[in-house]
Amino acid sequence: MRDTIHPRPNPIIAALYTVRDLEVDVAVIHGPAGCGFMASRMIEDAGVRVVTTSMRDSDLIFGASEPLISTLRKVKEKFDPKTVAVIGSCASMIIGEDMEAAIGRADISCNVFPIDCHGCMGDNTRGAIRAMEAAAKAGIVPREEAERQKSLFKAATRMEKDVGMASRDYLKPAKGATKHGIAKRIIKALKNGKKVAVVMVGKKELAYRFADIFLAVEEARSKLGGETLYVGNLNPDLGLPRIRRYAKDILAELGEAGISPKISGGLDEYPLCGAKSKELVDEFGPDLLVVAGIPHAYPELSPDNVLITDQPRQLANYLDSGLGLAVGEISSHALVMNVRSIVPLETGDTIREMLAEAG
Amino acid sequence: MRRIAIYGKGGIGKSTVSANVTAAMADMGLTVMQVGCDPKSDSTKLLAKGGRKETVLNYLRDNGTVDLDGVITRGYGGSLCVECGGPKPGTGCAGRGIIAAFEALEDHDVIGEHSPDVILYDVLGDVVCGGFAMPIRNGYARDVFIVTSGEMMALYAASNIAEAVDNYAADGYARLGGIILNARDVESEDEIVAKAAAEMGTGVVMRIDRDPIVQECENRGVTVVEGAPDSRQAGLYRKLAERILELSEDSEGGMRGT
Repeated sequence: MRDTIHPRPNPIIAALYTVRDLEVDVAVIHGPAGCGFMASRMIEDAGVRVVTTSMRDSDLIFGASEPLISTLRKVKEKFDPKTVAVIGSCASMIIGEDMEAAIGRADISCNVFPIDCHGCMGDNTRGAIRAMEAAAKAGIVPREEAERQKSLFKAATRMEKDVGMASRDYLKPAKGATKHGIAKRIIKALKNGKKVAVVMVGKKELAYRFADIFLAVEEARSKLGGETLYVGNLNPDLGLPRIRRYAKDILAELGEAGISPKISGGLDEYPLCGAKSKELVDEFGPDLLVVAGIPHAYPELSPDNVLITDQPRQLANYLDSGLGLAVGEISSHALVMNVRSIVPLETGDTIREMLAEAG
Repeated sequence: MRRIAIYGKGGIGKSTVSANVTAAMADMGLTVMQVGCDPKSDSTKLLAKGGRKETVLNYLRDNGTVDLDGVITRGYGGSLCVECGGPKPGTGCAGRGIIAAFEALEDHDVIGEHSPDVILYDVLGDVVCGGFAMPIRNGYARDVFIVTSGEMMALYAASNIAEAVDNYAADGYARLGGIILNARDVESEDEIVAKAAAEMGTGVVMRIDRDPIVQECENRGVTVVEGAPDSRQAGLYRKLAERILELSEDSEGGMRGT
């Protein structure tokens, strides 16, 4: 882990995303005002109120239970929440803050639970695991589901270390090729009556963007011919209620376009659904394979596969590994934080534009 | 200005030694600033008596900044008494407090404003973390003296402190000035402490005998130097002050040297 020196996600932010998935009403970061602010703004867009205890130097010295107590009381007054997660930070945990005791002393009438995490825990998923354990203890998620989630977090970390961004010590963000060449390749295959398999390995809300590849390719197939297979991890009956809702939204919209993808797993099973996807693809025997979302979850990628990622560093990782047909849909995450319908991909729009030009 | 730090195990008599040394130096006509680096804030109580002002950290917390007049008390013989202060036991981070207090004093140019001849840091117990090592790094103190008795635990703490000083010495910071033996009348105390000092690569600066006059003066809230100036004990403290002046470096510059 220490071998990786490029910026990596951190456990505090992982805990924050986890409480969003758990549909907690308010997250209180017990730390300085700027702690996690980029992620906090995105999470606020997703409907969770995120505040900090705005710790100052004197709170480091004298202890920060008073600011936590007054923040909790203010949260109760302003938002009247049912559930509140208090998330530790480097600052509060280094000085040994007792968040549970402060929550008790704040004595506000709602379900408030502490998540003991900070930035120096190593793998970011350790923050997510701590959040899941704390939520299970607070009765917000059934124990069995919490255990399932924990094993998925561990699988995600293994995957990142084996083939993802944590497998390299430093990756410079890449811009990659334009979408033109990729769109042309897909269109050409369909025009020549070839078989095109489209696999989405979606990570939770990012599926709202990557699912657009199904819509775009289906538009092309309906105009140009060829044969397609669609595979996505869109099982609507797996995972936390919020994540199931994403799958339901997307399946409904795909259904309206006449697409019913084969299901490789749930939207939280992105680290595990590669093998099942490959099985379905191999059965189909395509001439061209397109993998969108987290392509490295798909086993044994080859240089003639089209890969679509949202991470500029992941893109660098693919290009460095000789996977030359990779494109980046940069900043996708910010576009899907507060949506209930599919957001067009640049790759998708490029395909549509080329179809329109061809008449 | 001489930059001196007095370290030693908790309860060994650092503050009593420090306050008496400060009083003795004040009697020589020197301006001494004694900085208490302990959340208990009792380093300067024998010098400033009842008139002590706010601690640096309380002042900083309550006002967002420090006003030197609000935290420096004029004590015995014109000595300048400062307490860093810190959190209640079991909360916050006292080490971070030392760092913040030093920064605040430096930001307000305490040396330029008061031009002391000697700044003397009286630091709590052991060098448990980076914060309590502040006086011996970053150029704050130049000469470190360790107070110990012949008791095992006091010597153990002394050895840890010597090790910390040694670690920072490579960076050009503090150096070990020697051991001050605050006698507890342990058997063969002089030999034990001399041997331990040699192991730390230093020597015993002076032996301060055990004397009931110390407790007597403490009960009256004064140093021995002030309360019993003609006593043998006061003479020992004056001698110690002289020895410390001989062994320490006088250099220009602000809190952190040049």
